[in-house]
Amino acid sequence: MAKDSRSKETQNKFDMARRNFLRGIGVGAAVSMAQPAWGGQTFGDAFDDFFQKHYKKMTADEMQETLLRIERKAKIRYDADISCSNTPPQENVVFGYAINISRCQGYRDCVQACVEENNLGRDSQVQYIRVLQMDQGDSNLEHSDHYYDPEEVPVAGKYYLPVQCMQCDDPPCVKACPVEATWMEPDGIVVVDYDWCIGCRYCMTACPYWARHFNWTEPEIPTDEINPDTHYLGNRPRPRGVVEKCHFCIQRTRKGRQPACMEACPTGARIFGNLLDPDSEIRYVLENKQVFRLKEDLGTEPKFWYFSD
Amino acid sequence: MSAHRSKTLVVAARRVHGIACVVCLSFSPLLAEESPTAADTVRFEGYPNAPTVNVVPRKDELFFYPCDQCHESMEPNPEIRELDTMHDSEIEHGRGRLWCLSCHDFENRNYLRTFLNELVDLDEAHVVCGGCHANRHKDWAYGVHGKRVADWQGDRTQYNCTHCHNAHSPAISPRAPKEPPPVRAGLKLERGKNHDAHSDNGTEQK
Repeated sequence: MAKDSRSKETQNKFDMARRNFLRGIGVGAAVSMAQPAWGGQTFGDAFDDFFQKHYKKMTADEMQETLLRIERKAKIRYDADISCSNTPPQENVVFGYAINISRCQGYRDCVQACVEENNLGRDSQVQYIRVLQMDQGDSNLEHSDHYYDPEEVPVAGKYYLPVQCMQCDDPPCVKACPVEATWMEPDGIVVVDYDWCIGCRYCMTACPYWARHFNWTEPEIPTDEINPDTHYLGNRPRPRGVVEKCHFCIQRTRKGRQPACMEACPTGARIFGNLLDPDSEIRYVLENKQVFRLKEDLGTEPKFWYFSD
Repeated sequence: MSAHRSKTLVVAARRVHGIACVVCLSFSPLLAEESPTAADTVRFEGYPNAPTVNVVPRKDELFFYPCDQCHESMEPNPEIRELDTMHDSEIEHGRGRLWCLSCHDFENRNYLRTFLNELVDLDEAHVVCGGCHANRHKDWAYGVHGKRVADWQGDRTQYNCTHCHNAHSPAISPRAPKEPPPVRAGLKLERGKNHDAHSDNGTEQK
């Protein structure tokens, strides 16, 4: 008898819980349909977001709508007016980069400029450039230290080796991606469609340069520090839980400007340019200096060289 | 206070100098020879087949320029000596083998002079630097040493040697780096400054 009543009570409890739960869903749905509760977006925007096509499959109109939606989302998330573009690659341009390691002093000005230019979260652990402090005469990357923090750089007996995405011409990360969310553009930049990335991080494992980064947290950026000049494949505000990487400042370089890291470098160690232009600085480096690439034996064909003079 | 005064001095001197030039040119050809114009100075045409480079001007940033505002009224003295007024005669360049007149013109202090006795405008200072540092100068002319301004594409504009290097003490002194990246979650720094802090208080480094 007592047992029965107890089970009945439990049953009632479950019924009530179930009823409240269902009521909660109903109310929630009603509220969210009526008000912009979809992460602050309208239901329409959230719907279009969910069914957004792959970058390469979008028509011009769909692309335009997507860019406007990204701008609206940035307004909600950061209260900032940004303009998101989709500047196409230039004809007969393939970008290449070279760093003069005898010039680099390890100031990390490039790192800071990169964080500010590319709307990287200020508290997150994502930084596209890693400046490695190495012992002179040693080229083993595993002996490097990128957390160095002395009073003054350069430290005697050390040299500095900045590492970022090498924009490989045969990129292993692209082969690893199961959903084709990353690919190489005609101008040689390996890009990520952040809305297509599923965050599986296979590409991070495939990359031999430790150049891809996963954002574990929603990037936190003060409104007045947002860089409003953005590109779909570049520095637009990214969602949490996708992989991102250096994209040679696609939003700048496709318009003829220097990447932010190069502009910020006070020593002039960074050389950037068009590999197809025989008069460019980068070609002069390749033809006249002793250059090397990192982990060249892996056959990934990085478009990123190091030299010293 | 003094900075403000000398700035007005510079402006005034320039104005006077400009008028003086016009007067000299129109009335006295002899005097005109003494104050050379831009046409008299050597201009860098570039290395064979090298791209054209525009150099960022720097004269406007110079505190004492034009030098004539003082030196016009002074008797030039070629004797190598310690300067006791205005200029610092410690020259940490050339390991004691250089002094003022190695680069600056003896008669007209507004200009520099090369070993080939060519007058050089201060905006073209790299020509003088290239007299000794030929390899660096060639690298600079091809855009591999030094810094290009703003764009990778289009016309090349580059900073002059003297924008980055103080010609009287060209070595770049060390400075503090920007802050290091945050340590990855779950990892601990085990060396250097952070290591000491870690072992002192026994707390986990973030």
